[in-house]
Amino acid sequence: MSHRFLVDISLPLARFTLAIRWETGESALGIFGPSGAGKTSVLESLAGLRRGTRGIIQVDGRVWLDALRGVRLPPEERGVGYVPQDALLFPHRDVMGNVLAGRRRAGRRPARRLDPARVLDVLELQPLQGREVASLSGGERQRVALARALCSAPDLLLLDEPLAGLDLPLRRRILPYLYRVREEFAIPTLHVSHDATEIQTLCREVLVLNAGREVARGRPETVFPDAAVLPLARAEGYENVLRGTIAEAAGGSGVVDLEPGLRLTVAAAGLTPGREAVIGVRAEDLILAVEPPTGLSAQNILAGAIDAIREEAGTDGAATTLLVVVALGRRRTPLVVAITPRARERLALRPGLAVHLVCKAQACRVLATR
Amino acid sequence: MTGPGALISPTFVPLLLSLKVALAALLLVLPPGVLLGLLLARRRFPGKSLVETAASLPLVLPPTAVGYLLLRLLARDGPLGVERLGFDLDLLFTWKGAAAASAIMALPLVARSARVAFEGVDARLEGVARTLGLGPLRTFLAVTLPLAGRGLLAAAVLGFGRALGEFGATIIVAGSIPGRTQTLALAIFSDMQIGRDREALRLVLITVLLAFATVWSAELLLRRRARPA
Repeated sequence: MSHRFLVDISLPLARFTLAIRWETGESALGIFGPSGAGKTSVLESLAGLRRGTRGIIQVDGRVWLDALRGVRLPPEERGVGYVPQDALLFPHRDVMGNVLAGRRRAGRRPARRLDPARVLDVLELQPLQGREVASLSGGERQRVALARALCSAPDLLLLDEPLAGLDLPLRRRILPYLYRVREEFAIPTLHVSHDATEIQTLCREVLVLNAGREVARGRPETVFPDAAVLPLARAEGYENVLRGTIAEAAGGSGVVDLEPGLRLTVAAAGLTPGREAVIGVRAEDLILAVEPPTGLSAQNILAGAIDAIREEAGTDGAATTLLVVVALGRRRTPLVVAITPRARERLALRPGLAVHLVCKAQACRVLATR
Repeated sequence: MTGPGALISPTFVPLLLSLKVALAALLLVLPPGVLLGLLLARRRFPGKSLVETAASLPLVLPPTAVGYLLLRLLARDGPLGVERLGFDLDLLFTWKGAAAASAIMALPLVARSARVAFEGVDARLEGVARTLGLGPLRTFLAVTLPLAGRGLLAAAVLGFGRALGEFGATIIVAGSIPGRTQTLALAIFSDMQIGRDREALRLVLITVLLAFATVWSAELLLRRRARPA
């Protein structure tokens, strides 16, 4: 089913007016921005939960909102699967009662209907079916909320910070579920997060939002290294997210082809050759070399060229960290490396310089595989 | 149950009458009380604070004042009298009048408790239900009502209790006719006035038992609902 998404809305909020215009045929969409940027308000406007929203919303040719012409579909007629940040499960129903809360609509829309048993399987919820929601952990609640949205036969899935509020190990466990949902069910999804890794893993097109306005928009791999975006993405340390195909897997490591001739050795067990993998490498874990290094234990030495060097202001205004954007391979895939100003001086780094990136296999973590 | 049946001990006549009046008052007050509570909890509209205040008046006014207003309203030549309406509502000096007066006196308590009950339900849960395809009515029945259930039950118990103890408005609208409108509260007063202390005390004991049973069964119900099945 071809997907068309057109949003041109404005909504007055307490500190600013949210105003975005976004038209795309891409179906894995993300909104990235710091907290308080207006991300949740966008989702609520799309879901029909904000009466003050003006403008136009059109999804797959159906008009959800056309304020000037007085068209304003109520939430129940829009066909969204909304997963709010705090899950908001119905406390008076058990897990199954929550998952099937939207089954009436699903029954009316056979084309979009998903088999609840399959949804439960993909999200590994089968063992939780009869549980009271009060007894669920944070990660379980998120998965139940996701299953509830999926089982309501939505045209558009709206995910609001599905991993926020979960601790890091749990985030790493839930992320593959989200990835799997995207791959398995192919439902157009708008994913909102302040976590750059999450957005890069799951989205094909991202809109960066700050104080209610678009800062940048495009493919995540080019948007995030952007000068206006990188500072927003740095809050919890920037992680490069790379996609590739698993070429070899043996013992505790595997080889991932990012593009022909550009391979990455990663330390991870249980990889299956031929599958797609999403790899995360933190900017702090990469080493820059101006000459081909030898005699290292690190298994990844990748040739590239410096694209740009961005300064990051410290608390006293002086730059403490430089972010070097290195273009790798024929596709010029950008990778961000964090170094000190001293390192730039010692190596005389400048845009255009050919460099080698050194990266331990241990520093490459597999975020998700298909 | 309207007359003092030969088979029923005279002590129980006011008890049965009280139960009848209080139950009727509860049935009368619940729909408008719950609706008003919902309106105040969920909607913003011009004049809201006026509505709030007006609905609370019976709580602060002397019951006799409310009773007197009702009496004037229902008098033959009053706005709801037989001359204006063309038919008789048959409320003055009947048990139905006692129920109506009790219902009005119970309205503020029921509406306030219902409002608190609805305010305790996260409105965002209703929003989620709407996104799942449930219309406003279905959302109310499937989400709002069950989640507010405990509070609404408490509202009903309060309303019932208020109706059971109502005295001032009732005596003005319905009088204190033994066997017809003389509820427990009225019978106690009447017995005391003519010096039938033993009778009065017996009625007081019955009233205490009734009140105890009401509150206790409500507690049991509330406790059962607190633990989901």
